[in-house]
This record gives sequence, structure tokens and C-alpha cells, in this order.
Amino acid sequence: MVRTENLTFQYTNEDTVFKFPDISLGDNQNLLVLGKSGIGKTTLLHLLAGLLSPMDGVIEIEDEPIHNLSSKQLDRFRGQHIGLIFQNNHAVQSLNVVENLETRLFFAQRKISNTMITDLLEDLDIAECKRKKTRELSEGQRQRLGIAMAIVHKPKVILADEPTSSLDDDNCNKVIQLLIAQAKANNANLIVITHDQRIKPLFTHKLEL
Amino acid sequence: MNIWKISIRNFRFKPLYTLLGILILSVSIALLVGIQQLDKSFKQQLDNNLGDIDMVVGAKGSPLQLVLASVLHVDNPTGNISFKEAKSLIKNPMIEKGVPISYGDNYKGYRIVGTTQDFPKLYNADLYEGRYVQKSMEVVLGSTVAEAIGLQVGDSFQSSHGLAETGGHDHDEPLTIVGIYKPTHKVMDRLIITGLETVWDAHHHADESVVDGHVTNSEREITSMLVSFRNPMALLTIPRSINENTNMQAALPKFELERLYQFTGVGVKTITWIAYAILIISCITIFISLYRMVRDRAFDLALMRSYGANRLQLVKMVAYEGFLIASMAFVIGVLLSQIGVYFILEMITDQYKQRMPLLLGPIELLQTAGLVALMVLSSICLAIYPILKMNISKILSYEK
Repeated sequence: MVRTENLTFQYTNEDTVFKFPDISLGDNQNLLVLGKSGIGKTTLLHLLAGLLSPMDGVIEIEDEPIHNLSSKQLDRFRGQHIGLIFQNNHAVQSLNVVENLETRLFFAQRKISNTMITDLLEDLDIAECKRKKTRELSEGQRQRLGIAMAIVHKPKVILADEPTSSLDDDNCNKVIQLLIAQAKANNANLIVITHDQRIKPLFTHKLEL
Repeated sequence: MNIWKISIRNFRFKPLYTLLGILILSVSIALLVGIQQLDKSFKQQLDNNLGDIDMVVGAKGSPLQLVLASVLHVDNPTGNISFKEAKSLIKNPMIEKGVPISYGDNYKGYRIVGTTQDFPKLYNADLYEGRYVQKSMEVVLGSTVAEAIGLQVGDSFQSSHGLAETGGHDHDEPLTIVGIYKPTHKVMDRLIITGLETVWDAHHHADESVVDGHVTNSEREITSMLVSFRNPMALLTIPRSINENTNMQAALPKFELERLYQFTGVGVKTITWIAYAILIISCITIFISLYRMVRDRAFDLALMRSYGANRLQLVKMVAYEGFLIASMAFVIGVLLSQIGVYFILEMITDQYKQRMPLLLGPIELLQTAGLVALMVLSSICLAIYPILKMNISKILSYEK
């Protein structure tokens, strides 16, 4: 469950005030947020992830009003309940694939299970890259590692920032299908932020900024 | 997975870069430890060589020369004094004992010192083998001498006249080795010890016309008298009274050597400052490398924040890495310094024919460790600062 109300945000030393439309997502509902660059898509995503604090308004995730949490509580909440996917960088460079997933679980304060990690990597078809560092992976493998990193700790909300913009049509489709399937399997809300029109038909709930 | 493991992975991520940082820091630690150790060894060696000698009485001349000749055995003596006169001095109740020494000859550059049984006691020297000198023309070797000339107990040799290795003529009568001392790491190691009679007899035979068979106690001369006091008050009164009332001079070795050390110590001080400068530079290097590491890994660190890591965890991560570098550098630095100091002392041993003890004071080591830790800590703190101020959202928005 994700709910926002009268959400506004302003960067320090900048005049523009971002006003965001209210969001209300029930269980298992996904949302596509569309908009041109500079309109505040990433800002909205970072607000939902608790990486930024709103100027005003309400953000509730699983009935937890995260706009009221302290920075340390936010770190903890983010670690446990939110999975983030980025456009290009998906994991820590100095660690290999398995170590990255272990790190993700460590910061989420979840038990580290090798079978669970192996199963997940097999699901995502990157089990053969277990011991590889991120720079040794192909673009497609990296994107799938990014998905693994966002779901390994069974979050309530998966937030994806332009997950498909650097992918070709074929891969773009695959990645989005995979994300939707994983969100469903984990009982999580998926919120995708993009200017990529190709994935529009795959979502029922859409928000245009 | 835990913070330590991540730190170690980060540490190993760019090995060349890390190694360079360790190397620079360890060299400066090595310099610092090495210099302190050499300085301490040198000072201790000077103090050691004094043994129990509080005062030297010898012929008038330079007091430093008297000390260098009679205590450190490196310079020529100022002249001779009358044995009888010297003996009368030490009857003073404030004087514990006086040990007469008499020079004259050398063997392959090692000085032959005529003295009494009290001389080895000044240096707490024990016999390694053989026995003490009992009669004239018998000698006991210091350990360095024994090692260098390769003669055994029972062997004899011809001494050369004078203190220099060459130039003097050989005496006819051979000296017999009756014993060898254990190493004392003091000046005694490079001396050949014999009785006073040996020196007198040798010069009696060599210069018969002067003595002409009538050697009496009153005519006998010694080079100097090494004196230890019973009462430190004696330091104030006795030397002055000797210098004013007799034709001999009294010199205080501790005072003379300290004076000498004040001048020669300038070099050590300069090098110590250079080592500190290098330490500061290497700490700046650590700071720069940690700072760059934080900068380079800004995205990774922000990513970890997005995984739920809090600030403290990231600070720990970077701090652990810094301390890993610092402690490895410290171990390597201390090892390097020990190797360096070993070779320097070997060189000194070669040059001065005397072994110096390898001293690694725990206090000095702790001091250096503390200093390094402090410097590393402050550079880590400076490097960590950007983590605390890090704007995760901004870093994550501008992906590489």
C-alpha cells in the first residue's frame, strides 16, 4: 500500500516548488509515472524511497507515515521495505554478485540464506555469474542483478527509475515483464518512473506529471 | 556479510592503489622508528660506556680528550701522571674506588690497557673462558677483539708500540692470552686487558736506559685514574680541588659527553624532524587516498544508503579500511626499520670495533604508534566528513 497526499517539495537554493498529484495504491497494484525530464519524476521516486524529505504533505507506505520518521528510522525502513532499481548502476563495484545480495540482506537486517539467493539468481537467469564483479557482467545481466538487488529482501514497494531507457525493445519488454512478475510474486507494489512510452500498455494505473 | 567484510573487499578492490598508500606510510613509520631507535641506542651506548666511572683523573690538557681517551678509548691520552700521586687522591672517603689504567701498546689496532682487577668490574664483565691476569705479560681479550683477531686462549702475540696500528715497532717479549671476556656491549669489548706491570715491564725493556733497573713505586706512571664516587656530593668538590691543587686534571665524563652530544645531536634532531615531516606527508597521502576513495565510491556509498545502511555504518566501513591500511603500514614500517637499523649497527660495529645493542623501546614504539594512530584518525575523520554531508538523492540522480 502506497499513499501520498498534498505532497510538495523544494530543493534548497532553488525557487521551483514541486507539487505532486496524490497517489493511492492498494495491494498488488502497480503504477507507471510518466513525464518529461526535469518535471520531478526522480524527485517523487526519492521522496517515496525516503531519500528526500517532503516540504509538506503525507507519504504512507504500508500505513507507516514515513514523512515523520527520523533519518535513522528512514534508513532502517528503506532497508527493510523498499527496493530501488536504477537506470545504469545496480550494485557495489567491489563486491561480486552474491556478496552484493548478501550486503543488501545485511543492511535490511534479514537473514542471509544461500539457497534463497541461488534460487533468485536462477529465476533471473544469472546464476552462472554468482562470483563475478559487476563490471564483468553484460548490460542485460547487470539490469537483472539490479532487479535481484531490489527484491532479494522481499520489500513492500519496488521503485524503478528509468529501468528500460538504455535497453532495446526486446530487452525492455523482458525486463518490465520480469519486474511485474517479481512484484506480484513478492506481494509488492511496483512503481516505475519513465519517459519510455514503450512500456505504457503494460500498466493499468498511470500518472502523468 | 558484515561491515568488516565489505571494508576488506573495498581494501582489495584496487590493490595497487592500496599498496602504494601502505608503502608510503610504512616508509615514514620506518624512518621514525629507526631514528628513535638509533638515537636511543647511541645515547645508551654513551651512557653504558661510562660504566661506573664518575670522574677521570689524568694529565692536564683537554678534559674532553681525557674522557675520549680514558673512557671511550678513542683518542690519544693527554699524558702520564704519577701513580703514587693518583693513589693518594683516592684515599678520600667520598671516593668508592679508583681504577688506574696505563696505555702504551696495541695489537692490530686494539689497545692494550694495563689496569687492575677492578677495571672489568666497572663494566660488569665476566670471563667467557680462561682466567684473569695473574702476572706480567698475560692478557685477557675483550669479546670483539677475540672475534676479530681469531686467537685462542694459550696463544701469544707481539704487541706494537704506541696506540696506532702501524708505525710503532714490535716489542720483543710476546704477550700470552690467558682468558676471553663475555660480550658486554660496552667499550671493554674492544680492549685487550692486562696488568699494570705488563705495560711498565714492556717499556722498561724497551727503554732500558731511562729506567735502568730501578723501577720503584714512586717513579711509576699511569695514564689516568678512573674514579667512582661513593657520594654524589663529591662531584661538586673533588674535581675542583684536584684541578686547583695538583698538576693533574679531573674530568667528568658524563658532563663532557653530554656537551659533545649536544653538538652531534643536532644531526639526529634534524633527521627526526625530517621523519615527522614525512609522516605528515604520508598522513596527507592517506587522507587524499581515503578522500578520493570516498569520492570515487560516492555512488556505491549512496547505493548502500539506499540499501538501508545508516551513516554510522558507512563511516565504520571507511574507518576500518583506513585502519587496515595504517596497521599494515605500521607492521611493515617497524620491520623495515629493524632491517635498516640492523644494517646501520652492523656498519657501526665494523667501523668502531664495538657491538651496539639493538634497542627497541616499547615506550618509543608506543609513542610512534600513538602518533601514527592520531594522524590516521584525523585524516580518516576529514575523509569521512563528506559521507556525513552526502546528498544521496543527488548522487543517485546523476548516475555515472
